[in-house]
Amino acid sequence: MNPLGAAVSAAAVLLRGLASLVRLALRTPAGRIGLPLVVLHMVLALFGETLAPYPPTEFHIEDHQLEGPSLQFPFGTDQFGRDVLSRVMSGATSLITVAGAGALLGIVLGTVVGMSSGYKGGRTDEVVMRIMDALMSFPSLLIALLVLTSLGPNPINIAGTIGVVFIAPVARVMRSSTLAVKSLEFVDAARLRGEPNVYIIFREILPNTLPVLAVEASVRFSYSILLVASLGFLGLGVQPPSSDWGLMISESRIFITGAPWVALAPAGAVASLVIGVNLLADGIKQARELPKREA
Amino acid sequence: MATTITATLETTATRTADADQPLLKVDGLSVTFFTPTGAVHAVRDASFEIKRGEVVGLVGESGCGKSTMAYAIMGYLPGEPEVGGAVYLDGQNMAELGPAELRALRGNRIAMVYQHPALALNPTMKIGPQIEEVIKVHLDLNAVQVTERAMELIESVGLPDPERIAQSYAHQLSGGQQQRIVIAMALACDPDLLLMDEPTTGLDVTTEATILDLVADLKGRVNAGILYVSHNLGVVARVADRVVVMYAGQTVEEAPVRDLFKDPRHPYTVGLLSCVPKPVADEGAVTRLQSIRGSVFPSTQADPGMCLFADRCPMATDRCTGEAPAPVSLGGAHETRCFYPGEVSPDLWDECIEREAPRENGKEPTLTVKGLHRVYGQWQRKYLFFGPKVKPPVRAVESVDFNVGAGHTVGIVGESGSGKSTVARSIVGLVPRDSGDLELRGEDLPAETDERNAGQKASIRMVFQNPTSSLNPKLPVRHNILRPLQKFTDMSAKEREERACELLESVGLDASYMDRQPLQLSGGQQQRVALAAAFAGDPDLIVADEPVSALDVSVQAQVLNLLEDHQRENGTSYVFISHDLGVVRYVSDEIVVLYAGHVAESGPAEDVLSTPSHPYTEALLSAAPIPDPDAIPTPIRLSGSVPKQHEQFKGCFFASRCPRKLGDVCDNTPPPMQSSPGSPTHEIHCHIPLEKLARLQDNSVITPA
Repeated sequence: MNPLGAAVSAAAVLLRGLASLVRLALRTPAGRIGLPLVVLHMVLALFGETLAPYPPTEFHIEDHQLEGPSLQFPFGTDQFGRDVLSRVMSGATSLITVAGAGALLGIVLGTVVGMSSGYKGGRTDEVVMRIMDALMSFPSLLIALLVLTSLGPNPINIAGTIGVVFIAPVARVMRSSTLAVKSLEFVDAARLRGEPNVYIIFREILPNTLPVLAVEASVRFSYSILLVASLGFLGLGVQPPSSDWGLMISESRIFITGAPWVALAPAGAVASLVIGVNLLADGIKQARELPKREA
Repeated sequence: MATTITATLETTATRTADADQPLLKVDGLSVTFFTPTGAVHAVRDASFEIKRGEVVGLVGESGCGKSTMAYAIMGYLPGEPEVGGAVYLDGQNMAELGPAELRALRGNRIAMVYQHPALALNPTMKIGPQIEEVIKVHLDLNAVQVTERAMELIESVGLPDPERIAQSYAHQLSGGQQQRIVIAMALACDPDLLLMDEPTTGLDVTTEATILDLVADLKGRVNAGILYVSHNLGVVARVADRVVVMYAGQTVEEAPVRDLFKDPRHPYTVGLLSCVPKPVADEGAVTRLQSIRGSVFPSTQADPGMCLFADRCPMATDRCTGEAPAPVSLGGAHETRCFYPGEVSPDLWDECIEREAPRENGKEPTLTVKGLHRVYGQWQRKYLFFGPKVKPPVRAVESVDFNVGAGHTVGIVGESGSGKSTVARSIVGLVPRDSGDLELRGEDLPAETDERNAGQKASIRMVFQNPTSSLNPKLPVRHNILRPLQKFTDMSAKEREERACELLESVGLDASYMDRQPLQLSGGQQQRVALAAAFAGDPDLIVADEPVSALDVSVQAQVLNLLEDHQRENGTSYVFISHDLGVVRYVSDEIVVLYAGHVAESGPAEDVLSTPSHPYTEALLSAAPIPDPDAIPTPIRLSGSVPKQHEQFKGCFFASRCPRKLGDVCDNTPPPMQSSPGSPTHEIHCHIPLEKLARLQDNSVITPA
């Protein structure tokens, strides 16, 4: 089996896992609240701009500057008279794509590094994990600031930075669950068949670590959202005039006492997304501890 | 000793109750748990009694509700189960007691000994304070008396030097010592009822024997009723006065121990007895082992109003499937839950089929093991590169030699820590050897699996101990069988599919099992799939590391018989590793007895198991529990445990525990290899001349009357 084949089969395993995870999530109250929240944000990410009542950049300067919530503008308007609801809805796309891409990159790289290192063991494992420790000892926001100020704030750089930063924590978790699975006898049985290491790691061990991976992935995703929003707030996210939740909060802080809705709406959006993702993760985790239905 | 224990205790009114009244009466007990996936009927209908000074053995397969029963008696069931029937302690219905009264009862009048002593003891507390804690809670004694009593208790369970033990932590004691401490804690308040839940299951056979001696001794000393839960019939035969057999949550047979073993009156009991390899002392390895087909009636199903054993019973009739049998008394305290107790006979489970004659002796050995040596780890310094040497390397195997003839089975026995698993893993290449030679049909074998060629990998296959973990739980049965075929043969996809079905059929499973997930199968089925996977590459040698020790006795025979049939048809050689001498004797042509990484004795099975034998073999034989209440326990017991640290033995490897130690010569000179004149391949590593050894051992063996 070549590495490409392994990757394809790993992807198939991941997809199958996803379907069973949704079923699993719906078995607990946390999952039943979290899943719709996450789905809502996904819909916003895909169709937010189309669904929005106004174009996000349309000015209503003449008569609607910093207006409170009304039927016409449910979340009010900002200093240029732009509809806050439309801006929040269309801001989902960039944030979720960038945060999702960054988290995904981190999860994939972290899984590969962590599982390989854990499976290999010995001195290699020791060296790899010390490097991961070093990586973890930098605050992630600081690394992101450093990279983005030197390379420029574009979405690819943001996602890439998040990916690299997340390798270490994901690798740690995946390594420990690999260690637990590695000691089971079916891994010995695979070795005795003469299976190559890549096959053993991705075909034999990976399916057994999927539940752990799923929880870790959702945790990473929510951290990634917070990170992207923070970068946006600091002005290193998506550049104006496109809407970005972090940036919207940042811009609105000048008149936060007079028109709090301009800050509250994007803040609520970030919060509900993060809470949704966390609830979903919790739900899956709890459902896993319930006895299996078919057993 | 015992008199001082009872003398220091107050006697309450209930303790001097009428001797005829049963101490414990379990009357129609049922326990149902409600889980998110439905009701689980752990105990359905159990009734029995325990009198003072009596040991009642409770036996049955896993999933029969034995442990739930013990917890129900304690009033200590998890969750909120529905409990029917009643448990009376000295006439007092336990269900009427409040939580505070129950707490006062537990540890005081009812005490429990658990299966895993290491988990029952607090690892952060010294042993002394831990025992004192129990005494302080329940008895009104001053500090000096408490300490005195703790010392008495430690001494009363046969541990020397109580002061030193009291100052130790649990991890500093061996498994046997830990279990003794747990028993001492249970005895702390001189309980009326002692519940022992598989107290020796996790222990080595030599340690088990000493704990059983202790239980037998306790019976005479303390005026308590003991409920001894075990899956091992041999153990129960050794300690129990009466035996209760449980099946699917029901008590199916109850009888005095001799009646139960000599004249069983329930088909399930007969089945259990015919599943166990005959005791090593008799000439009983000539008939094939029996197994009970199917598996235990699922606890998730409600009571169907029929005999729960009917599905597996060879004598089931329409009446059995239409009506639930009630317990019938046969007189003499013998009860059975069967409609036809008179028709139950020992050959109920098929005629005793004679095993075929031993196979032709293979000329050329399939595998030769010469001077195998393996040590784990190396000396480490306290501060990475500096400081004193701490953490010594651990000895696994030191100079092991044996041959496996074509079509032969070599059994390897020894306690945990004797290096038997390391031998197995070195042969297959999972653990590379440090030195020594392995030859497969005269051809040198590389140390590691990865260095071996496909032919060599296909020739040597392994069967693991735990079938649940040796099959990948996330991949279907299909994967486990097709993959080795793909690796080891050049069949087309279609041929592989056909061959896989054939293999499944050869282990008694049909093709529909191909797409099942391993977790949907029972332990016996899983192990059979593992066997099919091992047979896949037409191997010359199968290394089986404790292949039946994780299985219930009722299905052990299936696996053993499958291995035997495969050997007869294909001439495969086996290296069969087990701690159970009975099983090893049943399957082996030759036996290697390992101790601390050294071969103590090796040779043809019958020669190894008869006199003269190495003192260690003698101790193992003496310790093995025999499912026959008339068997007189042989007196040889080993104390301590297998030495683990890697120090070169100056003298004999067994000198530190040998019951027949001669003196300085054993400590200072490695034992010579002696072979008996009658059987040149029978080798014993001992200083004692063989004639003397034979004389000593013949004198000490007490033949059953």
